[in-house]
Amino acid sequence: MRLPQSLLLLAAAGSAAQASSDKPVRPRGLDPEFAKFYQDSTTFTCISNPSVKIPFSAVNDDYCDCPDGSDEPGTSACAHISRNSPLTVADRPGNSDLDTALALPGFYCKNKGHRPSYVPFQRVNDGICDYEECCDGSDEWARVGGIKCEDRCKEIGKQWRKQEEQNQKSMTAALRKKKDLLIDAGRQQQEIEDHIAALEAEVHGAELKEQNLEADLKLAQEQDRKVVRTGKGKGKGKVSALANLAKGRVDELRNALVDVRRQRDEARERVKELEDILAKVKVEYNPNFNDEGVKRAVRSYEDYAAREQGTEDANGAVDRDLDEIAKADSEENGINWEHWENEEDGCNDLDLVYKFAAYLPPSLVSFIEDRVISVKSYLEEKGILPKADEDSSSESKAVTQARDALKTAQDSVTSLKNKLRDQRADLEQDYGPGSIFRALKGVCITQDAGEYTYEHCFLESTKQNQRKGSNSVSMGKFSNVGTTTVEEVNTAGEVVNVEKMTIEYNRGQSCWNGPNRSTKVILECGEENKILKTAEEEKCVYSMLVTSPAACAGGEAGNDAPRSKDEL
Amino acid sequence: MARSLPAPRWAMLLSLVVLLGCIVVPGFAVKHKDFKTCEQSGFCKRNRAYADNASSQGASWSSPYELDPATVHFKDGVLTGVISKTTTANEKVRLPLTVSFLESGAARIVVDEEKRMKGDIEMRHGSQANKKRYDETEKWTIVGGLEVSKSATLNAQSETGFTNILYGPDYKFQAIVRHSPFGVEFQRDGQTHVQLNHRGFLNMEHWRPKVDGKDGESSEDESTWWEETFGGNTDSKPRGPESIALDITFPGYSHVFGIPEHADSLSLKETRGGPGNHENPYRLYNSDVFEYELESPMTLYGAIPLMQAHRKNSTVGVFWLNAAETWIDIVKSTASSNPLALGAGSKTDTATHWMSESGQIDLFVFLGPSPNDISKTYGELTGYTQLPQQFAIGYHQCRWNYVTDEDVKEVNAKFDKYQIPYDVIWLDLEYTDDRKYFTWDPLTFPDPKGMQQKLDETERKLVVLIDPHIKNADKYFVSEELRSKNLAVLNKDGEIYDGWCWPGSSNWVDCFNPAAHAWWATLHKFDKFKGSLQNLFIWNDMNEPSVFNGPDMTMPKDNLHYGNWEHRDVHNVNGLTLLNATYKAMLERKKGEVRRPFILTRSYYAGAQRVSAMWTGDNQATWDHLGASIPMVLTNGIAGFPFAGADVGGFFHNPDKDLLTRWYQAGIWYPFFRAHAHIDTRRREPYLISEPHRSYIAQAIRLRYQLMPAWYTAFHEASVNGTPIVRPQYYMFPEDEQGFAIDDQLYLASTGLLVKPVVQKNTHSAEVYISDDEKYYDYFDFTVYQGAGKKHTVPAPEDKVPVLIQGGHIIPRKDRPRRSTGLMRWDPYTLVITLDKDSEAQGSLYVDDGETFDYERGAYIHRHFNYRESVLSSEDIGTKGPKTAEYLKTMAGVTVERVVIVDPPVEWKAKDTVVVIEDGAKLASTASLEFYEQESGKASYAVVKKPNVGIGKNWRIEF
Repeated sequence: MRLPQSLLLLAAAGSAAQASSDKPVRPRGLDPEFAKFYQDSTTFTCISNPSVKIPFSAVNDDYCDCPDGSDEPGTSACAHISRNSPLTVADRPGNSDLDTALALPGFYCKNKGHRPSYVPFQRVNDGICDYEECCDGSDEWARVGGIKCEDRCKEIGKQWRKQEEQNQKSMTAALRKKKDLLIDAGRQQQEIEDHIAALEAEVHGAELKEQNLEADLKLAQEQDRKVVRTGKGKGKGKVSALANLAKGRVDELRNALVDVRRQRDEARERVKELEDILAKVKVEYNPNFNDEGVKRAVRSYEDYAAREQGTEDANGAVDRDLDEIAKADSEENGINWEHWENEEDGCNDLDLVYKFAAYLPPSLVSFIEDRVISVKSYLEEKGILPKADEDSSSESKAVTQARDALKTAQDSVTSLKNKLRDQRADLEQDYGPGSIFRALKGVCITQDAGEYTYEHCFLESTKQNQRKGSNSVSMGKFSNVGTTTVEEVNTAGEVVNVEKMTIEYNRGQSCWNGPNRSTKVILECGEENKILKTAEEEKCVYSMLVTSPAACAGGEAGNDAPRSKDEL
Repeated sequence: MARSLPAPRWAMLLSLVVLLGCIVVPGFAVKHKDFKTCEQSGFCKRNRAYADNASSQGASWSSPYELDPATVHFKDGVLTGVISKTTTANEKVRLPLTVSFLESGAARIVVDEEKRMKGDIEMRHGSQANKKRYDETEKWTIVGGLEVSKSATLNAQSETGFTNILYGPDYKFQAIVRHSPFGVEFQRDGQTHVQLNHRGFLNMEHWRPKVDGKDGESSEDESTWWEETFGGNTDSKPRGPESIALDITFPGYSHVFGIPEHADSLSLKETRGGPGNHENPYRLYNSDVFEYELESPMTLYGAIPLMQAHRKNSTVGVFWLNAAETWIDIVKSTASSNPLALGAGSKTDTATHWMSESGQIDLFVFLGPSPNDISKTYGELTGYTQLPQQFAIGYHQCRWNYVTDEDVKEVNAKFDKYQIPYDVIWLDLEYTDDRKYFTWDPLTFPDPKGMQQKLDETERKLVVLIDPHIKNADKYFVSEELRSKNLAVLNKDGEIYDGWCWPGSSNWVDCFNPAAHAWWATLHKFDKFKGSLQNLFIWNDMNEPSVFNGPDMTMPKDNLHYGNWEHRDVHNVNGLTLLNATYKAMLERKKGEVRRPFILTRSYYAGAQRVSAMWTGDNQATWDHLGASIPMVLTNGIAGFPFAGADVGGFFHNPDKDLLTRWYQAGIWYPFFRAHAHIDTRRREPYLISEPHRSYIAQAIRLRYQLMPAWYTAFHEASVNGTPIVRPQYYMFPEDEQGFAIDDQLYLASTGLLVKPVVQKNTHSAEVYISDDEKYYDYFDFTVYQGAGKKHTVPAPEDKVPVLIQGGHIIPRKDRPRRSTGLMRWDPYTLVITLDKDSEAQGSLYVDDGETFDYERGAYIHRHFNYRESVLSSEDIGTKGPKTAEYLKTMAGVTVERVVIVDPPVEWKAKDTVVVIEDGAKLASTASLEFYEQESGKASYAVVKKPNVGIGKNWRIEF
């Protein structure tokens, strides 16, 4: 069991001690708050284990009698009573099943001239002046090894008060800033709400327009259908002439195909060669040699290798087909052009196509059906072949115009809806209490630390920029606002959990042998937006301690964002 | 796959399991092709073939080495003579022999080759290399114990063809030197314990010129005589074949131990194949083995060619003083007159075969008869382990890397915040400016002094990495001085050798050169190594030396060192030369401020224990590696280098909480206790681990600190008589055959503490083997275990490492947790007493300032505690010196605050005080005594409160 303590109590107890100064001398190192347990001058009852009673002379005799250590407020004799200690049965005689916890929070330093404080028992009489906790030097009362800790409370207290005053000022300023931020955030929020309203109206208008245009198009199409159109091709072209042209074209295509294949094969070989080199590097490099460059290369290669598997398409059948096509045309192979050049006229285009196909070897027919289109589009995509002209429309100009107008209207509706969706999502996004981070979005702060400059742009990203070079690494993109539990030491030297506001960033640049980088920004109250510290908690998982007025407690006017300035 | 059977389901499951396994543990493994097998090492292959040939001929084989009786001469404890080797070409080669019988009881056998000694050979390729067989390993290794026994005498009753020498205590030892073929048998009390050339494998490859186009004339395979290529590097071998080999047999011995460093069991395995045996000999060729594998005879970072052979109540040993690449084959044969009586009546011989690439045969033979005797005699020769500073026995927190000085300070603060003690924080490679040693990265470590001062506030220390490879860079003062002063290792052509290591292109300081030592010392001075303070100490890594682009990850063998010795001759001692240089440098940092240096090394040779601590290199975060660390540390201990440990947590990969916790619980029993982690692992400082494991780890670390007085006493003991700090079963109970192969439990020096770390996942009890019929008490709750020659189940929940205390001991402790060992200095002691069958107990305590060399002038406390006939007494076993009185005065306030007697006589129930008599006190005083009973199965105990006797005083407590 532990008694609650807080600064307030401490201060109150401090003054109580003076009032009771005529009572028997309080044991050394004892917080006046606990003085009531030490009133009986003959017997002492261990605080958490009242069944254990010892003569009062055993209090502070530098020997641990109580299982809760309450008999030694002024020495280190009971410092081992802790869950961190390898206790044996002899350390808690007759009480081996008891939980091990100290009843007292620590050695109480009066620190006259400053404020009282605890120093952990394990630091009492260890030969070190722990001025941070014990400015009066009372923790080293036994002067072990000749150490003498002079009282420095006057100067430390003065400094502290000065600092405290500044902190107060700074805190006031921070709260003022926070208020401004809240107002700003509220205004921005209002703007978004307004914007959403406006967008909603716009969408409505655009949708109406779209409907009208759809009707227009329908009308135009119906009129169009009434006009009988003559075929544009006169059908006068001679088969032989066509065959001539086709032959030229086919030859041209064949040559192009042969060329492309050659280029492809060369490229394949080079890729193979490079892959072999990289595979060798992967096997033979020394991961112990911490060369980031090599590690990154190996990592990328591993990703690449994983990705490329399966799309490997050195397909023999396709190549055989291509071999077939690449051969020159003759009676046995491909198209017998001679036959076509001598063909009589008299069939229409449609027949021609069927006939043409009939003269092709079956393998080619299926090949053309299956492959030509994809090969062509591939070649087009790669810019090897010029894009063929769009099929000229057989529509009337009116229909075309109507269709275009509708398309434009539709696009506009989509775009407006997208904007609306984004704005609504933004409105729903958690921007922290009072949406306060809305006001900080995009505000960037930096900190130089070691070889890097760390950068935090609120609600956007975190980055690690190399100071020597220009290399910049993303440590994460904004994910969410949240909270985290941080272990802090309280005034009694105990580790306690404290909840802190966080902004989390993830999906940063990926790490060799590790995850994508991510950053947890832990916020503390402060007058300025400032990065205090950046640490790599584990491989590529960063934490950034940032102060901001936005993290200060108080100042919110309820849960909702305050209205805009005008309304105040 | 030849089989056409359909793949059964289990096969698919199996492959799935294998696949999953690959995902969990990244597929790292040692790169076998980077390191030689015996087959790939010319001289190993040749000598194995030589041995096979000899064995196959059986009785008809005659070793072609004869000691010419006319040359034999014995005077003043030294026998000299010339061994004549008859070559295949029927030529005679003269090999001078010296056998020295030493005052310590050791015998030393040296064989050299006359032609090479005289330099009467031709070097190939115009090489400048030294023509002699290397004879300076001793210079780096031996520091004493060479006094020749004047009393050793010729045995008049030697048979013809033999020269017998009687020596040792009471002439109990005898060396029987057989002339033809040459061989030596060592006897103790008339019984043979060690045989040399018993199997006829003695081989000293004499010098011969290379004759081209002489095919067919010789039956010998010359393919590896003149040139060898490995890993893309060709060894020019300017002196041709020059290996040495000798078989050493231990008749009647079934266990051999030692010859670190290998990741293998304590009891060495056979090496010529067969189930459970190795295929390759144990190799000693200091190498930076990446992701080393376990249960392997593969070489690792260090080498100590000391082997102990043990059988019931007898231990003997050999020390093969050779710094070249060495392979050791081990075979065991069990002979029995009655083949049906295997076991009881059978007798196992262990036969070993030692092969080195070059140098002399230089062998020490120790005849025991106890493991302690070997440790002591070997220590007289190579030196005892240094008495380290107190902090060095504390907990070391390391990581590759703490990235900034602020990072270091924060880790430091966190330990205090969570009240976990530690003494030393370490900086790996990355603190340097561009991997240039003796510099700090100006961006990440702008204020190294401030950082060290912060650490010093709680008497903590900083250790930084300094390696022997020096970045080859202009405007880097170390590189410029190294080159301009000609202190670097040279290549075979006599130019500065350039290889790859951490900084890229690098040169290596040649610490075989005395001038290099002097220069190295200047670099460590506070004004030269700017930013270093007195609480900075050194970590010498990569000193095998590791060369990323070299054969076997090290230097080419034909590189040249000071004295024109080839690297092949000196390789294994190379790391030690650097340590010697650093040690000297640390002593000379500033005049008048001499502190005991602390150096951690990865590479070592016999003798490194005088100047450094070692760790087992780059292990992995697996349960297997945790398990392997125990025999590895034990082996180092019996090989005279007990200041050893493994990276707690495992260097590569991330340990889970269970493994990390168990590793701390094991690691606190390593003499060198350091956590370390690879740069790609998650941070794992103990305070980062979530509860309850954080507390478990904290408890383990605090247990180490609680026992600090016992640890320091154990180190002191090791520093004066060479005994291991943690000891294996056979060492403690040399008579108990059941315990000889046990290597998963250990004893902390002579404290009576028996520990069996848990090294398996999900295991919550331990089977602890108890050899004798004393009572053993659980350290934490005094549960009693008794029963000789069997295993006892000791509970081991996750928060507990099984520790027992043997009856009959007095263990000194300091129970108050502090931030560092330095801050425990003034704390009072607790004495824990367990009584033996005769109701007696003993213990000792050594204390000094833990920093300086003042103990050499008497500034220490050395007590012997004795409990006998209901009286506990403390007597002085130290020797007074000029600084004794002054030291005692400073320690006057340090007392015993508590005495815990486990399992006291029941009559004490009625007692409530004891009488305390302290020297110098006018009157006896009393102290209170409380008796506590426990449930059955657990011993009762009594506690004396505040006897307040001075730790440095004589006193008695009468019960």
